[in-house]
Amino acid sequence: MRKRLTVTALYGSLTAASLVWMVPVVTALAISVLPIGQTRSGWWHGGLSQLTLANYRDAWSQGLSLYVAPSFVITLGSVLVSLLLGALASYAFARLEFRFKRLAYFLLLTTMIVPVQIILIPLLPWLRLLGLAQGDLQYLGIILVHTAFGAGWAVFMMSAFFADVPEELLEAARLDGASHLGQLRYVVLPLALPGLVSFAIIDFVFVWNDLLLGLTLLDRDHQPLTVGLANLQSPHLAQENLVSAGSIMVVLPPLLLFIALNRFYVRGLFAGGVKG
Amino acid sequence: MTTSLKKPPRASGPGSFGDRRGGGRARTVSGGTRTAGKTGGRTGYAFVTPLMAVFALFYLWPVLQSVMSSFFTWGLLRPWNLFDRSTWQFAGLANYRHTLSDPDFWHAGANSLLWLVLFPLLVVGISLVVAVAIWHARRWSVVFRTVFVLPMTISLAAAGVIWSFVYNPDAHIGVLNAVLKALHLQGTLDVGPLHLKTTGQWLADPGTLNLGFYDIRLVNVFVIIAAAWAFAGYGVITFSAGLASLPQELVDSARVDGCRPLQVVRHVIVPHLRQPMRIVFVVSVIFALRTFDIVYVMTSGGPGTDSTVLGLLPWQEAFAFLTSPQAGQGAAVAVLMSAVLIALGFPYLKSMLPRKESR
Repeated sequence: MRKRLTVTALYGSLTAASLVWMVPVVTALAISVLPIGQTRSGWWHGGLSQLTLANYRDAWSQGLSLYVAPSFVITLGSVLVSLLLGALASYAFARLEFRFKRLAYFLLLTTMIVPVQIILIPLLPWLRLLGLAQGDLQYLGIILVHTAFGAGWAVFMMSAFFADVPEELLEAARLDGASHLGQLRYVVLPLALPGLVSFAIIDFVFVWNDLLLGLTLLDRDHQPLTVGLANLQSPHLAQENLVSAGSIMVVLPPLLLFIALNRFYVRGLFAGGVKG
Repeated sequence: MTTSLKKPPRASGPGSFGDRRGGGRARTVSGGTRTAGKTGGRTGYAFVTPLMAVFALFYLWPVLQSVMSSFFTWGLLRPWNLFDRSTWQFAGLANYRHTLSDPDFWHAGANSLLWLVLFPLLVVGISLVVAVAIWHARRWSVVFRTVFVLPMTISLAAAGVIWSFVYNPDAHIGVLNAVLKALHLQGTLDVGPLHLKTTGQWLADPGTLNLGFYDIRLVNVFVIIAAAWAFAGYGVITFSAGLASLPQELVDSARVDGCRPLQVVRHVIVPHLRQPMRIVFVVSVIFALRTFDIVYVMTSGGPGTDSTVLGLLPWQEAFAFLTSPQAGQGAAVAVLMSAVLIALGFPYLKSMLPRKESR
């Protein structure tokens, strides 16, 4: 009897906590699909007949649409470049010996603790000097900055996965005459694929969610959705309908990715630490 | 949605500090000794060069520039440039002296200190309780865990916006105010040094906590709560992984010995989670000091400078007022911040390096 009471209390409090935990998201979601008039008279009174997508349409046509393409270009570009350069380097860190290896590894890892503010201020003049601060080249600039600042995380994660590939398989490939590039391409990458997927998801979420770099380095025509949302948000303009629709639009891509590939995301975070 | 945490892919769980994973990690960097043939060295360079080039150009060099330019007076309209002497307006230590004597810096520092204390406590506390409860629950654990991990994927900018709805002063929009209104709890609350205004202005003027020599602005607390909501999932994942490796026999034998559930938690589960707790704590500390996004979106550091944090200062000084030549000063703040973070995070960093003796 007593045990059953404990179990009921456990499930009861977990359910209550889960409901409370969802309140912020539910609030934003509800406001985004209700007419603003309904929202202002207590959105929880709203009936299902009131549901509308007008807020999304308005948020989209009032400027948010401009931020969508940049978000995808920056995020997918950064993930691809990080995967490519990161995999090459991680192979060397996991499998090869060379001078200054420990020093290089240490320097890469510092990106996991220092704040991004340490590179922020001189970055804009520097990108201008390199010719990466104008037009679509801005994308290349910010992609390389994301790659550099995410390099520690990339190498840390991917080299851990690469190190788990059994040495015997590489040995066999070497006997068949495979070069190091061949061993990476045909042995390590296929076997470490789950690890690569984990890294790609975490990097996607991280880059997609960046606000500071996008806000600082890019002009208005190239800024990502997070910046668009921050621009919409203003306490003086009462436009809860647009802001809520915008927030759901920003949240959706990483959320869908998380739902689809949850296992890989969680496994990636096991690899230790997280970028914040 | 499936979270298969009962069988973590890496049996030892979250082990960046872990002794158990030490061996694996060591192999990561020094494993090359086995393959270090004649080709090792050159091939190694060829493989790391592309990444290291990007890293040097877009991280190392900007870091150096930040450090060097913090000794000069400059603004973004006329940026300091190492190779152009005409941009050198040497300031010596003036930027640092000015920063350290600037009340705004110390105010932001005090707010960051509050973040540094409260944020990790909230994250570790909430996620520990949740993870242990979920571990006890077994059934539905996947659903419960997903609920708590989900906010982790939400950008902090969006999390800030979403929480601004919860805190909305209009009791028809803001749930918090609606609940307080329904319970007739709106007013002011004075308990000793605590002066809390529950009148609904959570992000403007929710009151202060008087420490005698300093008034803590409670607006920070409400931003920190939102950030902890977004980040607690990391703790839940990490603790769940730790609990997955907890031998059931240990729990059972404690029960047989007459331990009550809370005693099991205290004497068996919490000691087992010491290592994950350290990781979550350190990562939250790092996160707390870097904070920019969520403060920028929720309050922009306001009202006045009530919720300004250190992470906001470099940006404000360099970019918010482009015409004022304060970039050097912003760089000085960034350098000071990084120094604190490196000091705090160094043990963590070292624990992620491969062991020396295994070379």
